[in-house]
Amino acid sequence: MNQPEASHERAYRGLLRLYPSEFRARFGDEMVQLFGDQLRDPRTRRVSSGPDGTAQIWIRTLSDLAVTAVSEHVREDRTMAHSLTEAPSIPTRALGALGVLGGVALVLAFIPNLPWIWDFVAVRLVLFNVGAIALGLAAYRAGALGSERSSVMVAGAMILANAWYLVMVIAGIGRPQFPEADPDFRLIGFYAGAAMWLTDAVFGYLIWRVGTLARWVGLALAVGSLFAFTGMDRLELVRGDLAWFWTPAALIGIGVNGLAWIALGIALATRRRAAVVPESVASGSLASESLAVVDSTLAGVAPVDGQPVIVER
Amino acid sequence: METTAQPQPTPSLSRTAMHVLLAIGPDDRHGYAIMAEVARITGGAVRLGPGAIYTTIRRLLDDGLIEESDDRPDPEMDDQRRRYYRLTAVGRAVAASEVRRLDGIVQAVRGWAFEGSG
Repeated sequence: MNQPEASHERAYRGLLRLYPSEFRARFGDEMVQLFGDQLRDPRTRRVSSGPDGTAQIWIRTLSDLAVTAVSEHVREDRTMAHSLTEAPSIPTRALGALGVLGGVALVLAFIPNLPWIWDFVAVRLVLFNVGAIALGLAAYRAGALGSERSSVMVAGAMILANAWYLVMVIAGIGRPQFPEADPDFRLIGFYAGAAMWLTDAVFGYLIWRVGTLARWVGLALAVGSLFAFTGMDRLELVRGDLAWFWTPAALIGIGVNGLAWIALGIALATRRRAAVVPESVASGSLASESLAVVDSTLAGVAPVDGQPVIVER
Repeated sequence: METTAQPQPTPSLSRTAMHVLLAIGPDDRHGYAIMAEVARITGGAVRLGPGAIYTTIRRLLDDGLIEESDDRPDPEMDDQRRRYYRLTAVGRAVAASEVRRLDGIVQAVRGWAFEGSG
């Protein structure tokens, strides 16, 4: 290796610090070698040799590094990195869309010019609870809650709590109070509200902890739900000496909760998930013939509009 | 209407993963050979950098579609520090399925898409 190539490789090795350490430890040496191979091989240069060819390689490499280093960190955060993926199923998309609708209904309460009448509040709360139930089901289906046991427990508790609050809302339609503050409901309404916010918080915490789907949204949901819980009148935090803090904090918590449902609904409805190869494709008989198919077809691959397609030979 | 063969019902492969799988093909290849082969089979339209190559190799390894090869070339022919990769049986099946899917598209549009293209 001559001196200029060695200095280029040292510089590239230094830049590899932008990748996660585990990835760098596993592939760093190979990546440096590949980079050096490009410098040594004039076929990879549009200009056969000289500083222009080296500059082109550096430009391509830096843009490649910027994109892939970031994506590798993001994948590490999600703990998911798969080459085979499939789109969410139609039921999952529908459940995610319901969740978005519920979150939007909750956030709409923060727009002051909308009519603040009980019937609208009831519709909003119904949509919010239906949306939360839908996202509980969707997250369970997507495996975003970890083990089967924790998924069933947490998603089940959250769904039941939101369903309970939903029943209270429907029972209280036409009444002037929220279920948790309605004196005719005694403490049942309060318990329904408390169960809803607290199970929402645990649900969000688990999404954050498992980390396979929108983990920071899960954390926002957990924190927002806890602050929303503190806004319940019977806790008297919003009427005490620290009301100046708890009142806006609880309102912000409700808003964050609504925004988190929206983001989680979008993530569940759109994010592609890891897939497995169908048994029929991975079976031995097909696998044994597939090498011949790949081999015989590669010579017929040609670019059309920048994409490789198979052309007739 | 002309009928075409139905593609295998496999999950979709990311575009870069497909390029790398097809570039490895029936051989054992190291990273630079994969990069060169991707450029060759796409007529130079796709040029993957080291980051794209190895982040994809990592995913393909984790998904069991490729594996590191134990077969080493003659020391005089190649650098012994290189690692070589080859398709697993499942990787071959997925690559073949992807090729069939692309082939199905070509078959379906061949009647008009190549008119006047020489």
